[in-house]
Amino acid sequence: MTTYKSDRFGDKQLGFALYLIGELIMFATLFATYFLFTPSAINPTPSETFELRTVVITSICLLSSSATIHYAEKAFEKGKEKGVWIGLISTLILATAFMGFEIHEFYKYASEGYTLTENLFLSSFYILVGLHAAHVLFGIGWMALLCYHYPRIPNAIYGQKQKIFTYYWHFVDVIWVFIITFVYGPYLF
Amino acid sequence: MKKIKWLVASLFIFLTGCNLRVLDPKSETARDQSFLIQFSFALMMIVFAIVIILFVWFLSKYRENDQNKDYIPADEKGSPWLEITWTVIPFILLAILAVPTVSITFEQSAQVESTPANAVQIEVTGQQFSWTFSYQNGVETVNNLRLPVDRPVEFTLRSEDIIHSFWIPKLGGKKDLIPGKTRRMIVTPEETGTYQGKCAEFCGREHTKMRFTTTVMEESEYEQWLQEMKEKIE
Amino acid sequence: MTFELFNRTFFIATDVLLAYIALIGTGLGVLYLVNRANKWSVIKDYVTTTHHRKIGVLYLLSATLFFLRAGIEALIIRTQLAVPENDFWVFQGDKFNEAFTTHGTIMIFFVAMPLLIGLMNVAVPLQIGAQDMAFPYMNALSFWLFLAGAILVNMSFFMTASPNAGWTAYAPLSTAEFTPEAGNDYYIFGLQVSGVGTILAAINMIVTIVRHRAPGMKMTRMPLFAWSTLVTAFLILIAFPVLTIALYILMFDRLFGTSFFSGEAGSPIYWQHLFWIFGHPEVYIIVIPAFGIFSDVISTFSKKRVFGYTSMVVAIVIIGLLGFMVWVHHMFTVGLGPVVNTVFAITTMLIAVPTGIKIFNWLFTMRKGVIHLGTPMLFAAGFIPTFVIGGVTGVMLAVAAADFQFHDTYFVVAHFHYTMVGGTVLGAFAGIYYWFPKMFGFKLKDGLGKAHFWLFLIGFHITFFPQHFAGLNGMPRRVYTYTAEDNIFIFNFISTIGAFMMGIGTLFFVWNIYKSFKNPDRCGNDPWNGRTLEWSVPSPAPEHPFDPMPQVTTIDPLWEAKRNRGGKLPVANTSRSAPIDVTSWQPVGFSGLIMLFSLSFIYHVTWLQIVLGIMVLAFFALRTLTDEHTKMAREGEDHDNI
Ligand code: HEM
Ligand SMILES: [Cu+2]
Ligand SMILES: [Cu+2]
Repeated sequence: MTTYKSDRFGDKQLGFALYLIGELIMFATLFATYFLFTPSAINPTPSETFELRTVVITSICLLSSSATIHYAEKAFEKGKEKGVWIGLISTLILATAFMGFEIHEFYKYASEGYTLTENLFLSSFYILVGLHAAHVLFGIGWMALLCYHYPRIPNAIYGQKQKIFTYYWHFVDVIWVFIITFVYGPYLF
Repeated sequence: MKKIKWLVASLFIFLTGCNLRVLDPKSETARDQSFLIQFSFALMMIVFAIVIILFVWFLSKYRENDQNKDYIPADEKGSPWLEITWTVIPFILLAILAVPTVSITFEQSAQVESTPANAVQIEVTGQQFSWTFSYQNGVETVNNLRLPVDRPVEFTLRSEDIIHSFWIPKLGGKKDLIPGKTRRMIVTPEETGTYQGKCAEFCGREHTKMRFTTTVMEESEYEQWLQEMKEKIE
Repeated sequence: MTFELFNRTFFIATDVLLAYIALIGTGLGVLYLVNRANKWSVIKDYVTTTHHRKIGVLYLLSATLFFLRAGIEALIIRTQLAVPENDFWVFQGDKFNEAFTTHGTIMIFFVAMPLLIGLMNVAVPLQIGAQDMAFPYMNALSFWLFLAGAILVNMSFFMTASPNAGWTAYAPLSTAEFTPEAGNDYYIFGLQVSGVGTILAAINMIVTIVRHRAPGMKMTRMPLFAWSTLVTAFLILIAFPVLTIALYILMFDRLFGTSFFSGEAGSPIYWQHLFWIFGHPEVYIIVIPAFGIFSDVISTFSKKRVFGYTSMVVAIVIIGLLGFMVWVHHMFTVGLGPVVNTVFAITTMLIAVPTGIKIFNWLFTMRKGVIHLGTPMLFAAGFIPTFVIGGVTGVMLAVAAADFQFHDTYFVVAHFHYTMVGGTVLGAFAGIYYWFPKMFGFKLKDGLGKAHFWLFLIGFHITFFPQHFAGLNGMPRRVYTYTAEDNIFIFNFISTIGAFMMGIGTLFFVWNIYKSFKNPDRCGNDPWNGRTLEWSVPSPAPEHPFDPMPQVTTIDPLWEAKRNRGGKLPVANTSRSAPIDVTSWQPVGFSGLIMLFSLSFIYHVTWLQIVLGIMVLAFFALRTLTDEHTKMAREGEDHDNI
């Protein structure tokens, strides 16, 4: 019988941690690309493109979602079903809001003429932040599946699934912190 | 008949190992490189010889035969002394190799910073799939490079489209032409003659055909040739 | 060739036409044979399996097929180059460029990698006392993703759009401006898809080795093949994501109009950095496992434990680490300046030290042993001098200023074939002959094996030794012809003869497999008088082979047991739960989906991209809804309640 802390779950934890190392290297390479090409020789510059307001709003959404998922995690450990639901649903909402604002941001940039192919700063910005957004989107789908699973599968297994998801979600959050610090930060503050 | 002549000729090269273009330098740059090749080869032959001797020795001496086939050899874990030996000796060999490597690499790159005053300036442009050479007096040639003997030449290398690599084996190693960048290379040909030049970086369909001839001539002839060419355009 | 059909004129290159005929012909032949022998159940069994041995066999089988294809390309290249100014068939210009590009790409990614990963799959779990790979389902997925990528690259030829920018795909040549055809898109997506499979395989290996060793199998007692697998898996985990991103960026350049690697502001050199930051570790990824195989084979066939075990392990770890610090030696002529060049020259030279340690340790493993020259050992013995030649030319190439001459010539071609054929391919052959009994329960024939070995090895040296001279005489690589005045005819001619000899050698290998299946010499658990755990379990290895689980007390546990315990390993009591084996169509289905998804990008069909994209995401939902762990837990729950 697989328990919460079984051998097989240990395998999964290690395996997923290794997977995240691989992802970390991918993002690191994209950050390097961004540093190399930003600012570009031709306009627009990052400072005229970025807008503080959206960055703050998206950051608030995403960073607080790390707290809510942590809340779900703690609630699960204490066996509080309602807490898990609250944590999960609010994370889902925050993530969706993040996606909404991010799409809005991209849309706005694009309509101002700051498109993918405009210059290499924008290209490297979009391929980095876009890949991160894809991760958030994937996470939203994953959470939806967790919501589906929770009432249906054995609790121990659910706990494992949720735990792996939290690793993922915290990782996505950490990447966002890097994005604020290194992508937006130098040109906004 | 001609093929057979070439066959015999190159068989000879094969057996003697000399006369290979890279090992037949006609400039100091190429000579230094040729020296490095031969020096590293000699050092490495020491290693190779030791390995081969041990290999043949152990393999013949300890090969299974009717006497020893049921014998169970004693397990040995290793030997710190031996292991240290074959860690330290390669280090020493490599250190010996590293000295000329570093000095010649620096020398050959530093040259470029300090252009000699009497240098001939030639602009080299690579494009799919040919070479254009422009000389100081405005003359341009395609796939045909002429140089005066015993005078430093500074090549300014540019690419029109993608990466190419400028290489005249007898005069020196290659240098890549990177689109959007300018590279420089200095050599002093020391002997008159005709040398092959090639593009060494794969650049598409007819990369193979991207070759040029380099003719090194006496300075007076060179000046005369330049003059004639100039008159032709005018 | 042109032909008329429905009043329209069609054109098809004769080489493609012939390949179609050959492919369809053999395809139908195989189908017929399978049907006649009534082996559909075997095929289904292998396609849906998640068992490590069977997946290993699948890797090896596909690698062998791709080896034949890329080998034919090598012969075509060599035929075109046999004499000066040759016009062989259609192989000049682009066709030739396509031939060496797919030759190189397939040999590296779809031959060398899967040969080694296949052997790891077969042997590593058994060597360390694991019941299976840690994640059997993901293991199957890794394989099928690898195959999907391989098929993408291989099918490009049939779509008359082979990649043609070399296996290094240097920009700007590889960008859409200079190669607008679909060829390099096949390259991007093929490598991307198989690369993901490879990363997953590496994760699987690491978890298996870290967490599934038998009781008492400390890291310091692990066979060296397992060690080299562990190091390799880490190299993959770190290097492949860089390739993933390099290809991701190149994809944007080719498909979505960015210009990272070309144009005014773009940087072609950045592609080279990214490619080689991946690419140099990659060459160690494909040679380190071969080192592991040789260590095990040499020790077994000398009846002695490996000499200097600790320094062997330290050496591979150091090689792995240094492997990340040498990539600029591929870029000496780019003009990065003397400081960068000399630093990387020295780090490159340093790699020779741990490699040398390994060579001498192998030699001293043989010393005072009793060397039985069975076929696997022949390959190992052939490896030592061959690889040393590749190693010493490697040191010569590291001399930056000398590399200005060597770079991109046939000298380099000779060098890397000496390491990759002399190391990886000989290693893979040694491993296949060695572990074949564990896969199928019988050995490959020794006589045919010897013929294979000698033809291949002698052919190899005849092929590649003269290429050193061709390079020194000024022959650049990647050219489709040369002139008589170049004075390189003789080298090329000899080289071509050797290549055909290697080809014949390879046919002996294929023939050997056929013969051995036809009338198998069944053998027991331990045909080679082995030393490590895999030889204590039945051949072919069953599912859940370690029942009871052995207690390991020393390095080479089986050997120790044979000497002191009458061949019986002490029994451990362990309650570690084994990985869950399932049979599932999902991995192959998913990979097929990914392949179609890639094609929809290669051919710019937007609606299909959307539809297939959604299906790919839906697959993840399907996977978690049918997860075998959940099922197990459900079944287990009743017991808990009792
Ligand atoms: C079976 C015997 C083989 C022969 C006769 C052969 C022949 C050749 C030749 C002639 C080239 C140079 C093409 C050119 O530069 O124009 C080449 C390139 C190459 N080969 Fe092989 N090869 C063989 C096996 C292998 C194996 C086993 C591997 C790897 C495991 C391999 C990897 C490569 C790579 C990476 C290239 C470079 C491709 C490129 O320039 O993009 N080859 N081969
Ligand atoms: Cu070229
Ligand atoms: Cu390298």
